Amino acid sequence: MNAIVSTVKLHLNKRAATFAVPLYIAGMVAVISVLISLVFWRSGSLPGTAGWIQGSQSNPGIVYALVGFLVYLGVASVATTFPFALTLGATRRAFVTGALIWDVITSAYIAIIFAVLNAIEMATHHWIAGFYIFDIYVLGAGDYGRLVTIVFLGVLSCLTIGGVFAAAWVRFGARGPQAIGVVIILVILTALIFLVPSAAAIAANFQLWWLAVAAVIAVVLSSVGTWLLLRPAIVR
Amino acid sequence: MTNVIEIGSLTRSFGRTKALDDVTLAVPEGSICGLLGRNGAGKTTIMSIVSGQDRPTSGRVEVFGQSPFENESVLSRISFVRDNQRYPDNYRLHHVLRIAPDFAPNWNEEVAAELVEGFRIPEKTDIKKLSRGQLSSVGIVLGLASRAPLTLLDEPYLGLDVTGRALFHSMLLRDYAAHPRTIVLSTHLIEESEALFDRVVIVDRGRIRVDCERDEVSELAFTITGSTDAVERLSAGHPVLKSHSVAGLKSVTVQGAIADDIRAEARSLGAQMAPASLQEIVAAFGEEPPESPALDIKVKKGARA
Repeated sequence: MNAIVSTVKLHLNKRAATFAVPLYIAGMVAVISVLISLVFWRSGSLPGTAGWIQGSQSNPGIVYALVGFLVYLGVASVATTFPFALTLGATRRAFVTGALIWDVITSAYIAIIFAVLNAIEMATHHWIAGFYIFDIYVLGAGDYGRLVTIVFLGVLSCLTIGGVFAAAWVRFGARGPQAIGVVIILVILTALIFLVPSAAAIAANFQLWWLAVAAVIAVVLSSVGTWLLLRPAIVR
Repeated sequence: MTNVIEIGSLTRSFGRTKALDDVTLAVPEGSICGLLGRNGAGKTTIMSIVSGQDRPTSGRVEVFGQSPFENESVLSRISFVRDNQRYPDNYRLHHVLRIAPDFAPNWNEEVAAELVEGFRIPEKTDIKKLSRGQLSSVGIVLGLASRAPLTLLDEPYLGLDVTGRALFHSMLLRDYAAHPRTIVLSTHLIEESEALFDRVVIVDRGRIRVDCERDEVSELAFTITGSTDAVERLSAGHPVLKSHSVAGLKSVTVQGAIADDIRAEARSLGAQMAPASLQEIVAAFGEEPPESPALDIKVKKGARA
């Protein structure tokens, strides 16, 4: 147990990357979104109108901006931290468990931060000037339950998927991530071959919880994959 | 005496390449063991397996009486810093100093601070941007300040300046005297480090070639230098580890201790003989061709479990 706690501390050792950088990115995207809104404002669109709200809530910039960083964070949490963890005396079992706990902590932190920022946005009537940064469709359009679930599972998926790609790299070098990429593409294409004829019916019956189930499956598969890849991995 | 490391018939293969071939070795508790040999000889692989970072293809490895692989109680007593040690992205010195005590129960802040100051390690520079010598310094801080009961140091001097190497030697000996532990140190700077060792292990092509106490090194080999005819006559019938000729003169390194009869004959032939230094012995084993007749593994008393 001590080794797992120590490994969680190891992952939390770079506090800025875990706690500050997501805030920087969110802040930067907020500024860019505001500037884009100002462009629309100057071109004649009026804050508060139906078209303005529709257009603003359809902007998923905050999500796109964070996904790349979060996948990198997941990769770094394994690729460069694993060799150092072994040097410090961590077991592979403790490392993988500690990494997963850190993934959960980071996901919960970002979900809470987004919920707080969304609350501020709502309370200030969208930053006084009608700017929509967090109250957007892709994050649940103001529904806190959906926002927290979407952000938590989304961040957790990004981190663990990044982790399994890094574990494949540690185990097999460049061929590892390539093999995972090929397998994922084959699975998606095979699924599409079978499902495309029913696409209209699936779309008509689509439920949001399907995405949650898909995220949970991705997290479980990535975590198990990380363990299976790192257990026999050696550092050279 | 208890052995901290016990290795029996250890083989490690990477594909068709045998990195270690039937290695049997024991390191007694409290010793400072020099692990010597050429690049690619198998030194790092031995350390890697002993520290649980790798597993043998076959054979037995026990550290503190247990298998080290995935063994938390054993790994918490080992410190192994690689020559090419990798650190997480954007790590600086303070990251290392903050996390290391969590894994090393015997971590000593004073030792770490003294080494950081002595090596002048930059604190505000990313570790990835440090010079080769500064990077080695960080590894030495990790290795010595952890005061691990088994400390494995893989080429700790790489790129280190002469002042830094002197500091490492003095700190190692001072802290070892106050807090004895088992240390295995691999290095190519043999003459500088020789005085530290109480045991010497020479590895070549994945096999243990020499495993003895340091006092026994002088009996392992000797050099004969003189005219080609004289040297060939004196070395005939002896296992020659290394040979070098130039303009009618020849020098050979011969395995074994100098016998009185050869010494007398050398004197009469005008040839010079002297015990080979440890560096000459390591170099000789490293030059030896694979098909050489002098392939006998020299194992001296008390070396094996």
